[in-house]
Amino acid sequence: MPAEIIDGRQIASEIREELKEKANKLKGKGVTPGLAAILVGEDPASLSYLRGIAKGCEAVGIFTETVKLPQDVTQDELQQKIEELNKDPKFHGIILQLPLPKHLDTLSAESVISPDKDVDGTNPVNTGKLLLGEDTFVPSTPRGVQELLMRSGHSPEGKHVVICGRSNIVGKPLMGILVQKQKGANATVTVCHTGTKDLRSVTKQADILVAAMGKAKAITADMIREGAVVVDVGVNPVKDPETAKFKLVGDVDFESVKDKALAITPVPGGTGPVTTAVLMANTIQATERLSG
Amino acid sequence: MSAKILDGKKISTEIREELRGRIRKLEQKGVTPGLAGILVGEDPASASYIKLKQRASNELGIRSEMVRLPQSIKQTELLKKIELLNSDAKIHGIFVQLPLPEHLEQNKVLSAVSSDKDVDGFHPLNVGKAWMGQQAFLPATPSGIYEMLIRSGYSDLKGKSVVIVNVDNLIGKPLASILAQQEVGANVTLCLPSTPSLSACTRWADILVVSVNKPKFITPEMVRAGVIAIDFGSNYIPDPSSKTGKRLVGDIDFDTVKEKAEAITPVPGGVGPMTVTMLLANTVTAAERQTSG
Repeated sequence: MPAEIIDGRQIASEIREELKEKANKLKGKGVTPGLAAILVGEDPASLSYLRGIAKGCEAVGIFTETVKLPQDVTQDELQQKIEELNKDPKFHGIILQLPLPKHLDTLSAESVISPDKDVDGTNPVNTGKLLLGEDTFVPSTPRGVQELLMRSGHSPEGKHVVICGRSNIVGKPLMGILVQKQKGANATVTVCHTGTKDLRSVTKQADILVAAMGKAKAITADMIREGAVVVDVGVNPVKDPETAKFKLVGDVDFESVKDKALAITPVPGGTGPVTTAVLMANTIQATERLSG
Repeated sequence: MSAKILDGKKISTEIREELRGRIRKLEQKGVTPGLAGILVGEDPASASYIKLKQRASNELGIRSEMVRLPQSIKQTELLKKIELLNSDAKIHGIFVQLPLPEHLEQNKVLSAVSSDKDVDGFHPLNVGKAWMGQQAFLPATPSGIYEMLIRSGYSDLKGKSVVIVNVDNLIGKPLASILAQQEVGANVTLCLPSTPSLSACTRWADILVVSVNKPKFITPEMVRAGVIAIDFGSNYIPDPSSKTGKRLVGDIDFDTVKEKAEAITPVPGGVGPMTVTMLLANTVTAAERQTSG
């Protein structure tokens, strides 16, 4: 039987509806939530991502501004700009678009973002709080995965979740979220090394498999257990041999896996839209806290 | 075949010898490493543990200062005391003995310790940095376990399955934080004693770490042959043959599991001795960092 397709766009639109109400309440108090996005250089992919965020934010009632800095900006100048935004009451959330040019130190820059405005949850203090189970901002992609599971009726509680990929923006924070003794978490969590010789023996353990390795179609049907829930965080541009155009594919071989899984997220239209919605949710939450 | 016994006392002695050398170098620069411990209240277990840390410090040549504060201390006063120690140049490491009385907010107190002096590795900044693979102070128990593995010949953990039955902030999570890094490359699973199909998880482990405080919780059926079994349980069970009528045991049924394992830590004498040693190692590291250049 083909799997249930988890519709990320639908879930994202539910979240946005809830956010509109919250934004309206804030407006009633004379507060407009504001998000500043810092972009160093002119990377077209980053520009288009930020345009998407700006559009989404506008629809919900969040004011956004993209702060563009030249490719050759110095570390000091970048950090000064962040300090300014930290103090600017128009902005309740600040994000720093990655990757930064090579001459800049990402972690130092992220550490300057005020933890109260760090809606991407990248300041190490917030990472630490996340792991310790304290109230903090959670990076939007892993938080989006949790949200997607909860809202599609596949709560990770008591389940064995296997995460393939251990990046600082997806795999590790997701492990941090799911092992907490909290609602929507409380899972047995494995984070695995994708170079493992017999990766299949690990992935086959999973009630819920999260693919976040950044490798097109790496998860195939033989790697999952019958009835697993499969969440695909991968976004890989792959050239279509017929049309010679690039299209986006996930880390999961969707066509084969969908016949074995209980539920699966598509790419595009799965985790991506939810990620953006969570970033907005974090911005609204930051606004509520800062204006509360 | 019976398992190799991982001797925490012996490894601990080795590490302390190395620390002596590092402390001598500091002394040559006129620096004596200083460790301050804060004990709030009169909990006897905490008091005896802090004494143990003090004695071990002194034996090694670390100047230790134990600050005893009354059970009823206000949070603001405790925070002020921590501030004083933060700015005291003779003190390079600070730890707050847990648990704290209930009226104190543990997270606020632990975040008040300067992250440069946080030799327990409990400050969120250190926790976050460690999780992101940056240089940071690591809590003593997980770093002690990792050090034991390395020094017992199990340093290559790439692709190995490590299963940790404990998700606490002091053990499970920070151990995952060490072992899940790219450079170490283990497949790390965090689970609880209440995990459904726990046996399936534990049987899958190349390295099994247990800290649940349930005597003989892990039986031979729950492990694979050739497992490396690390026990950080501490339970007293009745033992008529002992003078006190009781005996300290771990969470792993040692006598039976050791017949199936490749290596195993005893209780006592396994991970336990490592924890104080790792605190001392962090203190020496802190002193080196604060006085270099």
